[in-house]
Amino acid sequence: MTKRDQLGMTMFLIAEAVFFFLLILACAYFHALPRLYAPWGWILTALLLAGSVSIWRGWRWGAVALDAVFLVGLAGTPFAMLTAVLGLFVLAGVIALAVIPASGRRALSLYWYFFTAVWLVIFGVAGQV
Amino acid sequence: MSAWLCAIDHKRVGILYMLSALLFFLAGGMEAMVMRAQLAAPNLKLVAPEVYNQMFTMHGTTMIFLVAMPVLTGFGVYLVPLMIGANEMALPRLGALSFWLQLFGGVLLYISFASGSAPDAGWFSYAPLSEKPFSGGAGLDYWALALLLITGGSIGSAVNLIVTIATSRAPGMTMRLVPLFVWSTFITSVMIIFALPALAASLVMLLSDRLLHARFFDPAQGGSPLLWQHYFWIFGHPEVYIVVLPAFGMISEIIPVFSRKTIFGYPLMATSSVAIAFLSYGVWAHHMFAVALGRNFLAVFAASSMLIAVPTGMKIFSWIATMWGGAIRFTTAMLFAVAFLLEFTIGGLSGVAFATVPVDWQMTDTYFVVAHIHYVLFGGTVFALFAGAYYWFPKISGRMLDESLGRWNFWLVVIGFNAAFFVQHFLGLLGMRRRVYTYPDLPWFGALNVISTIGAAILAFGILLFCANVLMSLYFGAPAGDDPWNAWTLEWAAASPPPLENFAEIPRVRSRRPLWDLKHPEAPDWTRA
Repeated sequence: MTKRDQLGMTMFLIAEAVFFFLLILACAYFHALPRLYAPWGWILTALLLAGSVSIWRGWRWGAVALDAVFLVGLAGTPFAMLTAVLGLFVLAGVIALAVIPASGRRALSLYWYFFTAVWLVIFGVAGQV
Repeated sequence: MSAWLCAIDHKRVGILYMLSALLFFLAGGMEAMVMRAQLAAPNLKLVAPEVYNQMFTMHGTTMIFLVAMPVLTGFGVYLVPLMIGANEMALPRLGALSFWLQLFGGVLLYISFASGSAPDAGWFSYAPLSEKPFSGGAGLDYWALALLLITGGSIGSAVNLIVTIATSRAPGMTMRLVPLFVWSTFITSVMIIFALPALAASLVMLLSDRLLHARFFDPAQGGSPLLWQHYFWIFGHPEVYIVVLPAFGMISEIIPVFSRKTIFGYPLMATSSVAIAFLSYGVWAHHMFAVALGRNFLAVFAASSMLIAVPTGMKIFSWIATMWGGAIRFTTAMLFAVAFLLEFTIGGLSGVAFATVPVDWQMTDTYFVVAHIHYVLFGGTVFALFAGAYYWFPKISGRMLDESLGRWNFWLVVIGFNAAFFVQHFLGLLGMRRRVYTYPDLPWFGALNVISTIGAAILAFGILLFCANVLMSLYFGAPAGDDPWNAWTLEWAAASPPPLENFAEIPRVRSRRPLWDLKHPEAPDWTRA
């Protein structure tokens, strides 16, 4: 990964961190957090974590498959704006991972770690059913 | 044509930004003229109230998001690699993507006119006015989606500029040696990274309310309209500096060259920009003084709002000190730079007045606010942009802008601008409300409004004259040569217009005036330090 790619991705993720912080804050304040079935939520968490491990080990298609399954699973949860927005970012990441050449994939790994962390925060603060 | 559509070269992308901004500037200007025609006399009914609401909403949104931000980004994308001795932006494809996102956002916004329901809730679209029960058409949906696209494009271009400045500087060019325009672009880009996501979050919540029946901003269902105001102004006040700091950077390049002196207090200029950026995140609630926020809250934000005038004032004094004792050449670029100092100071001083809570209570939502914001954004940003256009047009096109037309352009803009907006201070003090399509025939209201409308017409003529000057000079302008102003920064070392690779050879930079060092090997700057 070049220094430029790394710095560029870091800047983008800082912007995303501000974005999700403000969204989660508003959702928490207005009790608009997603409500997740606990076992289902743990399965989704495991899928994203496994996807991140796959990226880390360089298993591109494994990560694509795991995160695609995560998206399908997310679609099965009760609709919430926060998870829908996160899902769009994960979908963009899956498409990017499938199409970009190997040279860009290292920078994309930061993206995956970040959105895995965002999911962990959402899952942590979400209402449990 | 396809060469421009597929362009990733920073110079072409920069020109695309500037051209699109110019087109939207003309559209926003026409919307302003419709408003001024409607307000030319009391009780006029040239346009319906609904159309007037659409006009001021589209005018504000256009000028902020489709003119000020893109044109400054365009100058940054064009000039920063040249100024730091780079051959290209660090992430050229991201640069092109960012431009097209912004342009599509602008086009989407204007498609709302065709849909028959342009947005009509003002450029900051306060909730609950922007909620479905009060704005039932699709206009606000277009507005929010368009701004989301523009936000994405702005963040992309900010990332690109940060990475370029951080990683692509010429050998020897430390951050202590970069031109002040590069400093201001860098700081502005960092501000965009932290400020624009607040707007994006607000827009996502607004769209959720409007399209998915969420309840973030609807008090009837437990939401809070104040949340919109907080989030919007967390973005909105830094936004003012996002569109002013690069303008400061332009002035910091132009005044020294035409005063034949180095900038006074370079470290002070750079650190004051950092201070402005930092403080701008702590002043958002001064836009909300009319809301019952509590005395302590008001006191803190009044103090922080006054505090931000200090680093801004430092800059004004530094520019004056730079001119002091200099061999000043009053080219059109320098005339606009000097006028910028006067006009922006007026806008800054009325801003300090607004930081005083009782004054704000008295004046909020009157024409005093309209006058203030135009003295900051037109008197500040647009005057600096005119200065920058006259200064860098020769580098971009290879031809000089006509100086005679330039002087006509300058005086028409100065006279028209002040006639249009200075009188609005008095209208505000007399109690004329903004964003109301007409007004009663009260003493002075008619006379001051007709002066304002005549001023706006003169201003419009001055701007059209600038467009004519650009078009004529592109074909008939005198050849510029590489360095027509005898300037000092690296962009003037490249050919005019610069070739694809920018520089045949990049010199090692050892001072803040690398071109001076090349021209004066007997007395280079770095030997004086």
